[in-house]
Amino acid sequence: MKWYIAKRILWTFVAVWIALTFTFALVTASPNQGEMQAMMSCATSGDDPAECREQYRERQGLDTPVTERYVNYMVNMATLNWGWSDSRSQAVIPAILDAWKFTAQYAIPVLILSTLIGYGIGLYSAYKPYTVTDYAGSFVAFFGISIPNFWFAIVLIMLFGVNINALPVYYQSGIPLEYGWISVKNFLQLVLPITVLLTASLAWQMRYSRAQALEQMNQEFVKVAKAKGASQYRLMIHHVLRMAAVPLSTSFVGSLLAIFWSGSVIIEQIFAIPGLGYMTYTAIVEQDTALILATTLLTVFLAILGNLLEDIAYVVLDPRIDYGNR
Amino acid sequence: MSSDYNDISFEDIEWDSQDVSTFALTRAGLVELLSYLTIAALFVYDHYVIENAHPLIFGWDVLSVEWMFLVTIVAMFFHGFYPLYKNTRMRQFYWKRFKKNKMAVIALAWLGFIFVVGILGPVFVDPPQIRFDNRILPPAGVTATINGVEKTGTMQYPFGTSAEGRGVLALVVYGMRVSMEVGFIATVFTVLIGSLVGAVAALATAMDIGWMDEVLMRYTDIQSVFPTFMLLLLLTYLFGSKLWMIILLFGFFSWEGVARTVRGEALQRSAEEYIMAAQASGANMLYVVRQHLIPNSANSIIISATVAVPGFILGEASLAFLGFSDPNTFSWGRTIAAGQANIEQAWWISTIPGIFLFLTVLAFYYVGEAMRDAMDPRQEVGGGGGL
Repeated sequence: MKWYIAKRILWTFVAVWIALTFTFALVTASPNQGEMQAMMSCATSGDDPAECREQYRERQGLDTPVTERYVNYMVNMATLNWGWSDSRSQAVIPAILDAWKFTAQYAIPVLILSTLIGYGIGLYSAYKPYTVTDYAGSFVAFFGISIPNFWFAIVLIMLFGVNINALPVYYQSGIPLEYGWISVKNFLQLVLPITVLLTASLAWQMRYSRAQALEQMNQEFVKVAKAKGASQYRLMIHHVLRMAAVPLSTSFVGSLLAIFWSGSVIIEQIFAIPGLGYMTYTAIVEQDTALILATTLLTVFLAILGNLLEDIAYVVLDPRIDYGNR
Repeated sequence: MSSDYNDISFEDIEWDSQDVSTFALTRAGLVELLSYLTIAALFVYDHYVIENAHPLIFGWDVLSVEWMFLVTIVAMFFHGFYPLYKNTRMRQFYWKRFKKNKMAVIALAWLGFIFVVGILGPVFVDPPQIRFDNRILPPAGVTATINGVEKTGTMQYPFGTSAEGRGVLALVVYGMRVSMEVGFIATVFTVLIGSLVGAVAALATAMDIGWMDEVLMRYTDIQSVFPTFMLLLLLTYLFGSKLWMIILLFGFFSWEGVARTVRGEALQRSAEEYIMAAQASGANMLYVVRQHLIPNSANSIIISATVAVPGFILGEASLAFLGFSDPNTFSWGRTIAAGQANIEQAWWISTIPGIFLFLTVLAFYYVGEAMRDAMDPRQEVGGGGGL
């Protein structure tokens, strides 16, 4: 098992290296936005665009051979020197450090709530499949998966902000700094973003836990546990969830991260929350390549890390798996 | 062939397939190939002879995505509808199981409606045009106060107009086509790449070329770790946002699930004796993959494809909402984003396309669920799945 985990960690480094190389290749192969801008501004001010292009390339270190740039890029990435963000006039790493709290303050509650509620309803549905409760659960799940995040957010803003006026609809970043992150005022302005993100993630957790638990329901050990008089709670939590946790753990991080990233860009753009998603959005709008790369890589690294933890959880949770062979 | 679906006997032997070589074509295959060639020829004619200068036929200027959509429709016809139509027993069997799920039948009808209107609608409905004399009109019969002026909607614009004076109905109809194009083209790419990779990986294992399987599946693992949405944001930023490119990117970065499913299925199959028999009678790798492995994994492929379509539709709408999709298309996401600015006085601009988007995605999930129940023999259909 130790050997498996060591191999798995080594593989993580390979994956990180491939991700870095891939993004480097993409940026090198694509038309350079900054270069075009430099040429454009030169052309409008009457200078020779070709000369400006050379100057720009020299300034950005693009006149050196690709191999040298690749080595530089890798060294910079490894030493956490991720570049300078033009749009924020700030180095990239401090910018991320500023922004992540705004994302975490709603992402972590959503993660906890969706897992607890989603698994709860999913297991309950699996305990009594094809009943009215199960159908209602299915409907809620389909509703949550299908409703477009951005549209749901707009509809909520329309209902609560315009018609009812009960909740603050646009986020004010001064509030957590003034009243503290955990305060009623900050919580109130997070209700709508949390609701929007919760619908999607809750739905996935519900569907998936129901499907996995249902697979276990026909197993012999369920019959034995029932025959021994295990209560519904004990049966589902101690026996079924314990078994379903193995397949559930393998898709947990991947599917949730996917929902969270796309969700955070949209939600933060709509509610004006200055977190990582909003940073990505403004970076693209303002063509800030260093920041876009950083946010993309951050998501990739988190996904790779999550994948590693999943795989380790897998062998820890299920001792039957022959990890020597993988 | 018996029409009684309960008659599952193994007495029907397809003697025709006895002498088929890898590259031999059936009649349907020939028609399919001819259709592709016709589309390709028209494409070349449109691009190099008349050089996109004027519309190709009947005032319809076929755009690049529409060429891909034509190919997709042909592929779906010959690999989806035609085999179902020909095989009466299979069709009746699946339909009997499918229609147990009432919601799915309604959902299928809705999707049929969206599909037909999406294809034919733009022929009858004029493209949504900017008309400043018609800015922000409410839907027919609704009265609303716009910038202090009270207005009542008329039947000229049944769903009202947007801030630029575009008819919301026309925007919805043109959005249907965009959504169908994105959903189906990307899915066809996904299925094509995914089933090829999966089948080859499984076959490699079966033929003791283990390293090939290892390389393919490790790559699949890495790619599935990449968050597709962020990758799309990066790629559309770097390479520009043409609709056909977004569709291709969706297709190229979403096949991992299909590949894993097909590999799993095909691994089970390739251990079976008919594969050995085929190989013993001289079938090569390509033939085994095409004739045995992929068709026998078809059910799993179709199920995962149905669930992939709504994901692509939502993904494109999200990109469009953020303003990173093709600015020349009337995507639902773009209309919803445009309505956001006037949400306080004109609810219909965002709400109506949103309802269409929501119902379409919901319908795909219901149909996918019912198809899984109908096609997966391991599923019990006793109580009917889902709703």
